[in-house]
Amino acid sequence: MANLERAPRKSINDLIYDLIFKNYVWQSIFRTGYPNTPRNQMLAVATNVFLHLHPTRIHRTHVKITHTYCLGGLSFFMFLGLTVTGVLLMFYYVPSVERAYQDIQALEANVRFGQLLRNMHRWMAHAMIILVLLHMMRVFYTGAYKPPREFNWVVGVVLFILTLLLSFTGYLLPWDQLAFWAITVGTTMVGSAPVLGDESKFLLLGGFSVGPNALIRFYTLHVIGLPLVISIFMAVHFWRVRRDGGLARPL
Amino acid sequence: MVSRAAAAIRTRPRREREAEVLVWPDLVFIEFISALIFSIALMVLSAMVNAPLLNRADPDTTPNPSKAPWYFLNLQELLLHMEPAWAGVIVPTIALVLIAAIPYWDRDQEGQGVWFGTKFAGRLTIFGFTAATLITSLLIIWDGSLHVVWTENIIRGLGLNSDFSWPGGLDWFRNLRGFDTGIPWESLGFSIGGFTMFADWRAIPLGIPGTTTDPWLLNLNFPSFLSQQLIPVATMVGLPVLFVVFCKMLGWIHTRRDIALLIFSAFIGVYLTTTIVGTAFRGQGQDLKPPWDIVVLEE
Ligand code: HEM
Repeated sequence: MANLERAPRKSINDLIYDLIFKNYVWQSIFRTGYPNTPRNQMLAVATNVFLHLHPTRIHRTHVKITHTYCLGGLSFFMFLGLTVTGVLLMFYYVPSVERAYQDIQALEANVRFGQLLRNMHRWMAHAMIILVLLHMMRVFYTGAYKPPREFNWVVGVVLFILTLLLSFTGYLLPWDQLAFWAITVGTTMVGSAPVLGDESKFLLLGGFSVGPNALIRFYTLHVIGLPLVISIFMAVHFWRVRRDGGLARPL
Repeated sequence: MVSRAAAAIRTRPRREREAEVLVWPDLVFIEFISALIFSIALMVLSAMVNAPLLNRADPDTTPNPSKAPWYFLNLQELLLHMEPAWAGVIVPTIALVLIAAIPYWDRDQEGQGVWFGTKFAGRLTIFGFTAATLITSLLIIWDGSLHVVWTENIIRGLGLNSDFSWPGGLDWFRNLRGFDTGIPWESLGFSIGGFTMFADWRAIPLGIPGTTTDPWLLNLNFPSFLSQQLIPVATMVGLPVLFVVFCKMLGWIHTRRDIALLIFSAFIGVYLTTTIVGTAFRGQGQDLKPPWDIVVLEE
């Protein structure tokens, strides 16, 4: 007997859904279907390298915005944004005393969205410092540094220092009066250290005062040295958040 | 040590699968929205406010005041009140080391994972923050000799004495340097049994001549040491101790966590106050000025 039961006709929505999510190309990229079932939702997180920073499931209290205010995540988001805008800025900027200032002026005047680009980079840098500080306060006031998270708190303190150093090294690059004198004041403070003060200052500036050597050192640290180091510490930081059992919560 | 780490892991809260939610969509959605809000806000800010760009750097023209980036202005503010080595290097280093050490000292599980988890956490936070902010502001006002200006203005203004000026006998209370310049150290030498003690307070011999060239180590300038090192450091150590003793007397402190809450909040208060004063209230020659009176001169 012929089979009289036929699958019900697919609605247009289902057809479009299948077309987008059940084709060969999509499934070669995302192994799972669209994350609309619990299984797919967990797979979506677990099989994606970026989302895999997260566990697949977390405790209900931790998705409450008032628990973290997303501050750690937003600090990281600022870092990502700074990396993108920073790379774009590098296209237009040459770290030499002759060119640096002109390049910034040209960027603002001649490059489409150049001023916007520079503004974004600048304000994100400020925002990142404020967000990291607030994140530290949120971790402190929620008592989230207690064992077993002691070490991640220390990693956090290092991240805070690195964030300040990144911002400080970037501050010199426009080579205007603001930059020059701020770095002069800042490095003079370093020079007043009771041991190795003058030596550290010399090492940082590549000389006795802010000049071409200081510019190239600050530039190199700013665009490659410190970003590499901070990335490593961030990787450890995120890894440890998960290894220490996710975010802290009461016993 | 191993056992302690093991204990820490054992004391970890048990997983409650029923109380868990899926990261996708619950968390990913929140992250996405907050990232979106921040992107838009920063876009708008960047469209409206331009990053500063002054004249090209010129080593021969010094702006007055010259300031470090704002996030270091708390240190630059400290610089006005103590020996540069303390302000610029030692104090921030110690502060960072102490902050990093908090979890190794405050180890019990009480109050973990909830906002203001101990009974008096709220009071300790508010008290620590407010008291530290007030005291820091007062100290800055005092070291800026504003109390001198204000007293003079008030007494003159009330017509009590139209040419009143701060009494010379109180010169030592003008500001921190007053302990150096306002006290007749020259006449404070005394002798015991023919030995003249401290004939010269400004050059108390410490080192063996020839062993060092550092004037600090060779001869101690006591008045300057007192005003630039001893008093500032004693203040930075003493006030937190006083805070703890005071709150203990009030019965607010029961655990190390409570002490940490108090001191950390006080630290935030000092950090904010010095940053704000350094950023907005320091004009030419780093004098205290209201923000609207601050102009930068190039010299
Ligand atoms: C570049 C700077 C930083 C980034 C990108 C960052 C990122 C993060 C993220 C994404 C989390 C997950 C929870 C949350 O968002 O709050 C986290 C947690 C944590 N962070 Fe950071 N962080 C930074 C700096 C710091 C600092 C300065 C400290 C402390 C001194 C710190 C200590 C911690 C600790 C202890 C946790 C675990 C919190 C818990 O279990 O509730 N982090 N961090």
